[in-house]
Amino acid sequence: MIPLKVVSVGVIAVVIQLTLFVEVRVAGVAPELLAMLAVLLAFYAGAERGPMLAFGAGLLWDIYLPTPLGVAAVTFAIVAFSVATLEEGLFHDSRSQLAMIVALGSMASVVGYALIGELVGQRGLIDVEMLRVAAIVGLINGVLTPLLAPVVRWALVEGTQ
Amino acid sequence: MALAQRIGRSRHRLILLVLTAVSLLTLDLNGFGPLESAQGFVRDILHPVTEVAGVAASPFSDAWNGVFNYGDLERENQALEARVKELEADEIRNQADRQTLERLLIASELPYVENLDTVVATVVRGAVGNFDSDVITIDLGHRDGLESGMAVVTGAGLVGRVDRVDATTSTVQLISDSNLVIGVRLVATDEVGLGRADGDRFVINQGLDWPEDGDLSKLPPVGTGVVTSSFSRYPADIPIGWVTSAVSPDEGLSMVVRVELANDVADLGFVSVILAAGVDQVPLPETVVPSTSIPAGVSPDDMSLDGIDSDDGGATEGGDGG
Repeated sequence: MIPLKVVSVGVIAVVIQLTLFVEVRVAGVAPELLAMLAVLLAFYAGAERGPMLAFGAGLLWDIYLPTPLGVAAVTFAIVAFSVATLEEGLFHDSRSQLAMIVALGSMASVVGYALIGELVGQRGLIDVEMLRVAAIVGLINGVLTPLLAPVVRWALVEGTQ
Repeated sequence: MALAQRIGRSRHRLILLVLTAVSLLTLDLNGFGPLESAQGFVRDILHPVTEVAGVAASPFSDAWNGVFNYGDLERENQALEARVKELEADEIRNQADRQTLERLLIASELPYVENLDTVVATVVRGAVGNFDSDVITIDLGHRDGLESGMAVVTGAGLVGRVDRVDATTSTVQLISDSNLVIGVRLVATDEVGLGRADGDRFVINQGLDWPEDGDLSKLPPVGTGVVTSSFSRYPADIPIGWVTSAVSPDEGLSMVVRVELANDVADLGFVSVILAAGVDQVPLPETVVPSTSIPAGVSPDDMSLDGIDSDDGGATEGGDGG
């Protein structure tokens, strides 16, 4: 059963994304809180549960996106699987590494979302602008990692006890 | 060993998730009702929360915009001041032009939303992600009589179409979205075609033909009004903009008309929704594509110039078929 705290964190992330980050943007680019959440869930929950939780986060975000339902969900699940697999094999927990993983994972989420979106018929997602957006999203999400990481850790650890 | 087993298990789960996503995508793309209702239900439940959170977050976003977008605001203010002075200077000249314009509008028969019911909506928010800058959310839903496909306008003209309708909110696909194809009519020449946004511009690139005799005087004059056609999915004669140029990208065959939009959709506060059901699919105006290929089973020796010239219908079918 998915812990209530994880669901709450997901809903709060969506609400913040829909309110604060509609206006607050860096160079016209908003942070992707749900992508960051997906990467952090994968990092802390591991390869077995992480992709499923990331899929759920993506599904929640999909409800508000103009692309068909499932585009963000499958993107986040694949990125989460990659992050969790790499984390288990290569990385050890440290703040700088985590920020770097979130940055790269967020960039991959943006690029993956655009690619899959184009595959299902959305126009104009893949261009140079996409690379700029991915780079800025990676940077912002990396910077914001210390704020969201403890929340995700708290939700997962407390929720499973 | 244990790590490999875990990764193997999670790989199977990932495959299941991908299959689930593909199923959802397929259902959503086919407009599966219960899935749309479920999404609308979640959005309706979260709507009051986002409204309250929006009010709570507004001081932060205002402060952010004040600090980081001050230069933009200042430039915008200067541009507006210059524009006001320009308009004041033009006022006298416009008084004379206005009578001419009114006569032109009467002559063009533009019954713009005259006999149609409209409701005024407030724009709740703009783009929520980084890829959907051409979508806004308004504070009216199916409780207010909105349906997907309805035209959204301001006093200046078409803004977009109602896309996703929930109980109390709806999203609007803006005219600046290149995915939104609009059937249009050139007021001066009465030609119809299909137009869509192309980057920062709006272009009519389907359905218009370059004058056969190359007579440039037959081109739509710059400044010609562009309105929705009766072939479009919206009520006819909603203003869209005016022609800025007409070019032929293929040396005199088809015509591409560039249009300056009447509306600035980047900063909308209020819009009106025309309560007339939209049509899902645009009925494409029949385009004549000149074909240079020889139909199967016909020898080039059997063809004469006279025969080709007199067989317009055959050329059209051949073009469509190709």
